[in-house]
Amino acid sequence: MSSSHAMGASGATVKAVYKHLDCLLQGIHDLQHAGLKDFTVLSPIPRHEIDEMLYKGEPSPVRWFTLAGGILGGTMIFSLASLTHANWPMIIPGGKPLVSIPPFLVVTFEGTILWASMFTLTGLLKFCGLPAMNLHPAMKDPRFTNDCFGIVFERSGNRLDEIVHILESSGATEVTHG
Amino acid sequence: MSNKLTYAQVNRDIMRPLFTPTMAWHGLMALALLGLAIGGVCWGIQLVWGLGVAGYHPPVFWGVYITTFVFWVGIGHAGTLISAILFLTRSRWRTGIYRAAEAMTIFAVMTAALFPAIHVGRAWQAYWLFPYPNQRQLWQNFKSPLMWDVFAVSTYFTVSTVFFFIGLVPDIAAVRDNTRGYTQKLYAAMALGWHGTDRQWRHYMAAYGFFAALATPLVLSVHSVVSWDFAMADTPGWHSTLFPPYFVAGAIFSGCAMVITLMLPLQRVFKLDAYIHIWHFEHLAKLCMFTGGILTYSYGCEYFIAWYSDNPYEWGTFVDRVVGKYWWVFGTMVLCNCTIPLLWWFKRVRTSFAGLFIVSIVINIGMWFERYNIIASSLAHSFDPAAWVYYTPTYIEMGILVGSFAWFFTWFLLFVKIMPSVAIAEIKETLRPPLKHDEEAAAK
Repeated sequence: MSSSHAMGASGATVKAVYKHLDCLLQGIHDLQHAGLKDFTVLSPIPRHEIDEMLYKGEPSPVRWFTLAGGILGGTMIFSLASLTHANWPMIIPGGKPLVSIPPFLVVTFEGTILWASMFTLTGLLKFCGLPAMNLHPAMKDPRFTNDCFGIVFERSGNRLDEIVHILESSGATEVTHG
Repeated sequence: MSNKLTYAQVNRDIMRPLFTPTMAWHGLMALALLGLAIGGVCWGIQLVWGLGVAGYHPPVFWGVYITTFVFWVGIGHAGTLISAILFLTRSRWRTGIYRAAEAMTIFAVMTAALFPAIHVGRAWQAYWLFPYPNQRQLWQNFKSPLMWDVFAVSTYFTVSTVFFFIGLVPDIAAVRDNTRGYTQKLYAAMALGWHGTDRQWRHYMAAYGFFAALATPLVLSVHSVVSWDFAMADTPGWHSTLFPPYFVAGAIFSGCAMVITLMLPLQRVFKLDAYIHIWHFEHLAKLCMFTGGILTYSYGCEYFIAWYSDNPYEWGTFVDRVVGKYWWVFGTMVLCNCTIPLLWWFKRVRTSFAGLFIVSIVINIGMWFERYNIIASSLAHSFDPAAWVYYTPTYIEMGILVGSFAWFFTWFLLFVKIMPSVAIAEIKETLRPPLKHDEEAAAK
């Protein structure tokens, strides 16, 4: 046990490091079974098992950003092209319409993709909390981008002993609190 | 991917080539900088003296610069094809090669983007291409394929760059955690505070899928739009509905060949054999064989349509390409794109270093000549026989062409030294995760 973080009013910080994925999943399961939810799981790779256990298959809201960006971008670029041509009515040979859908669809398509992408990026940054400069120091362990998994409780409340016991018994190779 | 690899081993292997340049790297960089200097001097001469130093000869005002623009946009196709389309189709062979292929895409489009500015001569007025009302309240024409091209290429570049950077973030975080001092601070800023929390991975994977889905139609649309630069004009040899699929197939053909050209030495020099196998290259070669087949068919189809149309101008241009002054361009194109790549139908050739490397370079030479053949020969042999000319590039144009390759390779050489050229997190995903159960079973 180490004491790297000061104990706050709402309990100590607890960090468990796992070498094995199955032990980590066991740890998550046992914590959830004990009614504990307020923890963060860290992993060097995305694992759908972790996602399923924590979010129960609920899709990420990023998709609404993508949809909104696509609709907004397509509408804006089509409007830009149409209003531009209406504002500057060039003489079109052959009596072709001033606002013509087929040629404007090209830029509309590009605008849809561009804005959908930019909105997706915005959604990604927002929901991931990036740039994440204020993450709890316990999560900033270089092993979590290398070969280890982790579970971090920023505040253990009054259940410190129980949390430590669950994490240790699930196969964590290191459990620290403080 | 070998199942004996561990996550820690992947981190070590892929980060090993970073930061410490070898003699070979210095040599290649010196060569690239020399080429860049040649290109820079040539462009400088053109900026001072004007477009007269290029070999333009009325009515040929599109030459080497537009040829090279189309060439580099085409090269830029393979990266996003591999990273986006193969991601959506869950092709596991993309994992080892997609990062470098994506980087290649970005640098190829950055190279292509120079050429409209070089081509217009007065590069300082290249911003006229973008939609803004100028001093005479004159707006751009959104019905012009050149306008579509500005939108298509800039959208493709922006989306590909974001897709590339988002893919890099977890790996930049891994590099950050393996460095110290100022280097670590720099990588920490680029990693945006990534630490692989469940919340970060959840939204990241959703967004990555959306980026792949958004980038996929772009792969197919960008070169279609580039082809309309030609197909929308009534110039004989250009005015064809065949152009979009023909250009897209050609772009994938040349792009995959360029990935082979770049990644074979990368695999050897950085000793990445555990991550990039010969079967990765074989898959790329098969993709080239498929798209090369479409291309050869398109060449034939073009001739059939020109003959069948009974249009003397169209047919005259196509005959002139074979027997006229540009016969050597046409010959090089057919030899390099249709004939020599047939060697890859032999497994022995497409699984050997020399066979892959040489044929991939030949394909890229052929694809440059294909664009030259389309652009120069059509303009030089248009409707009016009195206006028929023979355009040849000047040393200034060729110097800028050399400079474009140098510009591309400079970026690529910098990239392989500062960023992981193989995707660390995705390679780990392909491995069997570390399980206590496995260790216990092995101990028994």
